[in-house]
Parts: sequence; structure tokens; C-alpha cells
Amino acid sequence: MSTLASGGFWAFVFVVAGIYTIFALGLQLQFGFAGLLNFGQVAFMAIGAYTMAILVVKEQWSMWLAAPLAVGAAAVGGLLLGLPTLRLRADYFAIVTIAFSEIVRYFATNDDTLTGGAQGTINLSGTGVAAQYDTQWQRFQTHVQSSLGLGSRDAAMLVLVWGVAVTLLALTWIALRTPWGRVLRSIREDEDVAASLGKNVFAYKLQVLAVGSAFAGLAGLFYAWEFSFFSPDDFEPLITFFAWMIVLLGGLGRVWSVPVGAILFGVIFAGTRFFNFAPFSYFGSADRAYLRLMVIGLIIILTVLLRPQGLLGRRQEMVLE
Amino acid sequence: MPAILEFAELVRTFGGLRAVDGATFEVGSGSITGLIGPNGAGKTTLFNCATGALRPDSGRIVFEGGRLDRKPPHRIAREGLVRTFQTARPLTRLSVRENVMLAGRDQPGERLTGWFFHSKAARRREELVRKRADELLALVRLDSHADAYAGTLSGGQRKLLDLARALMVEPKLVLLDEPMAGVSPPLRVELLNHIVALRAGGVTFLIVEHDLDFVMQVADVVVVMNEGRVIARGSPDDVRRDERVVDAYLGKRHEAVAS
Repeated sequence: MSTLASGGFWAFVFVVAGIYTIFALGLQLQFGFAGLLNFGQVAFMAIGAYTMAILVVKEQWSMWLAAPLAVGAAAVGGLLLGLPTLRLRADYFAIVTIAFSEIVRYFATNDDTLTGGAQGTINLSGTGVAAQYDTQWQRFQTHVQSSLGLGSRDAAMLVLVWGVAVTLLALTWIALRTPWGRVLRSIREDEDVAASLGKNVFAYKLQVLAVGSAFAGLAGLFYAWEFSFFSPDDFEPLITFFAWMIVLLGGLGRVWSVPVGAILFGVIFAGTRFFNFAPFSYFGSADRAYLRLMVIGLIIILTVLLRPQGLLGRRQEMVLE
Repeated sequence: MPAILEFAELVRTFGGLRAVDGATFEVGSGSITGLIGPNGAGKTTLFNCATGALRPDSGRIVFEGGRLDRKPPHRIAREGLVRTFQTARPLTRLSVRENVMLAGRDQPGERLTGWFFHSKAARRREELVRKRADELLALVRLDSHADAYAGTLSGGQRKLLDLARALMVEPKLVLLDEPMAGVSPPLRVELLNHIVALRAGGVTFLIVEHDLDFVMQVADVVVVMNEGRVIARGSPDDVRRDERVVDAYLGKRHEAVAS
């Protein structure tokens, strides 16, 4: 129980929740507002993280240049995926996105010279030398800590992640209240009608895919900085489904439901570590790690069954025909 | 009457079925043209070709002198040819007012960053769009529902909303796909009056409708399709008397029975 009382533990939980907020916000924008069924969101997180790490380690770029370029690369990745596939029907598009995310992961696993392969970023500069991409970030984090007078570097990370998350949430919230957001919602409701009223549905879907991918890329950067190391295993399709759980749990079609869902997810995800009492104690700790996935699956099912609008969604929107 | 819309030798097949098989006719500018024909005559396929939802296999569709048949739906709508759907299709989780406002033209705020970078123009436009939307909602007497979800409207109200939304695009030509289907008698009269009044204001209508009484009452010109082709075109009275039309609707054998 001592872990539960430690500030460091909770800071970690909330940093992860912040990263997932940024990540899942892209999904909320795409599905909750424009109706785009994206099951491959994790691909853009991977593209963001890898682009930054490769540019910093192999090309010795400044983090301040590599980071925005990595976010851009994720957005371009979204465009490239969308151009040939967005005209597909929704369910086919969903299948393509999940395939795309697996292609990205397999590519990262197999192209050792570019990505470090299965061993991850530690192998980025070849065997024998442990590569590090975050020295500059660590310095920046320390700088933020001391200039804000914070107690720990974890606290600095918390401020940075949530600063970015809240900014993006606010921007998205405003953008969705403009005529642009109205067109998005009309596409979600019935894209044929939107087109019949003169809206270029394809262009809007492409925009939303690019913006959502950029959010995922940014989440990938924070993920990389928080853990100081990552490998292709960090970008399994499961991560996309965590984001789906956050969106469903918080509520579809709402911006501020995303951080609520993400924090809840963070608590559940971390909290299931403490299932060390009976009957959970009958399982070994390695098996118990899988229990959390089952619990999360159960929560998704129960949410959809009992409260389809999520915590903050509007029930009425679920029953309109 | 000069033509605003022309179909020339239009063909559209689905596998072996020639749904539209060389249809040729024109819609006079400022007219109310009725398009009738038995089930499977190709009326809806023709509509879908005109609005860009389907591409014709061959033939031409000309709107105000320009080809339409290779343009995507949103471009066709922007040129002033707007459709409604057979079953009304409200955007259910948008408010009634938003449904209509959505259809407003030339809103710079509809661009990704438009609201932020063309803020003045977008806000000014939004005010006009809102005003016009409220006018149209008052016209179809949905103004008291403006803030409700469109999904809460009844079937007839949905038809009216479809009409108001189409008008918001400032169309030159409106294609109505079975406007009377599922509409209660009092609402029928209302819809009919709207159509006649709008035509007086310069809007052209092309109407697919199964209710022949309605078509004969409202249309200046009636076009009859059967098996993908136009078999007659003329005033309601001419068409009513046309043998081929009677054959198409009732089958040839009625002559034998009658004589």
C-alpha cells in the first residue's frame, strides 16, 4: 500500500492519463465528431516517436526541430493513409487503418538500421552504444522544474503534459463550435446529405485524419520522453483500443469527456496492479498483469450496455433515429 | 422556355440491368416538371446521376450550359442544383436550426482555420446565415422547433426541414424525390403551396412523384419514363391521354379487356 500513498506513483498515473488524453482526443475528433472509424491511431503515435528519436540520435538534430517535424510526419502519415482509403465505406476504412498500424509496427521491428529493430531505441546507433534521444528533453524538464519551483521532475512532466493537453482540448472545443465543426458533425450524421448541400466531404475527412494523427504524434513524443526508451512492442493495436475505451467511457461527441475518460483509465490501469488479494492472489503476478486487460474489456462492455452515452455524453443523442 | 437542365442519351447500367437506357429530355427554366413512371422506370437512378451520386455510363447531363456528369455531388450542389431525398434525411443530432444553417453558402468559417484567420468575415456571414435560416424555418413553420434536435421531428416535419435546408443553398433547380410520400393531407397542401410560391420566385422544380393527382395538379410539364427511357413528355392533359403512358402503367392487355 505504500506505493498508493507515494506522490511519484500518482504523478506517473496522471502523466500517462495526460498522454492518453492527447492521444484519444484525436480519436474523439475523428469518430466522435466526424464519424471516421479509425482503429489504427497508434500508428501515428509510433511515427511521431520514431521520427523524433531517429532525427535526434542519427542526425543529431536539436529536439526543438525534431519534435515539430515528428508531429508533421504523423500528420503527413495520416494524409497518405487517407488519400487512397477515405473513399472506402466506413467498415472497410476501419480494416485498412488497423492493417496500416500493424504495417508500421512490423516495419519498425524489421528495419533494424533505421529504427533499432525489436530491441528498440537503445539500439538506434548500432550495437555496443546505448542510444539516448532525450538528453535535451531531460535538461528542459529540469529547467521547467527549477523555474516553476516544483518539487520533482515528475511534477514538471505533469505540468508540461497537461499544459499541452488542456491547450489542445480548448482549441478543439472552440474549433468544433465554428461552422467547420458543424460540417464535421453533419458528416458524422449523414455524409450524403452533407455532400448534397455542397460540402466537400472528402476534404473534411482528410483534414480530420491529419489533425487527429498530429495529436497522436504529439502523444508519441511525450510517451517517448516519459519512458526514455521505447520499442515496436509499445505500439501494439491494444494501445488504440485503450484510446477507444477512453472515448467510450468518457462519452462520444464531447471534448471534455476525453480527459475524464483518460484519468479514469489511468486509475483503472494502474489500480489493477493492486489486485493482490484473493481471489486474484491465486494467480501469479505475470498472469495478474493480463487480468487488467480483462477488467478493461469488461468495463468497455458494461459501459456500452448500461451507459452507452458514457459518463458525460447525452443520453438523448443515443436514441435519436 | 429555355432549358435549365438537359439529359441527352443518358445510360446507366447495374450489371446487366439497364436502369437508365438512353433517356433524353429537358427541364424548362422556371418550370415545375413532373417525372413519373412505374416502379423500376429509372427515375431515381436518373436523379442520382444528376446529383453526382452515380456516374452515368454514357450520355450527357447539361446544367445551365455546363456538363454535370463528371462532377462530384458537392460541386453540383454549389452550382445551384440541390436535391431532397425519398425518405427525409435530417441530421438527427444537430439542431433543426443547425440543419438549415449548415446549408448556407460561402461561409469562410467552414475552412479548418477560417474561424480564426477570417474571423470577421466568418462571423458576419454566420449572422446572415442564421437570419436566413430562421426565415426559412418560419416559412415552413418549424421556427418553434429551431433549437430541438432534428431527430425529434415527425415524418412530415422532416420533409419540411429537408425543403428548408435545400432552399438555404439558394438553388436554381430543386430535385424533389417523392415529396408527398408519407406526408399527411394537410401537410400536402402546405408543401404544394410552398412549391408553387417558390416557383413564382424563380426556382425550377423537377419532381419525382408516385402520387399522380399531385403531379397533374402542380406540374406544367410531365415527363414519363418506362424501362429507362422517356416515353412521353407534354402537358398533364396530353400525358393523361397518351396511349403509351396508359400502357406503361396498366400493361397492354387492358385494351383487350376494354374492347
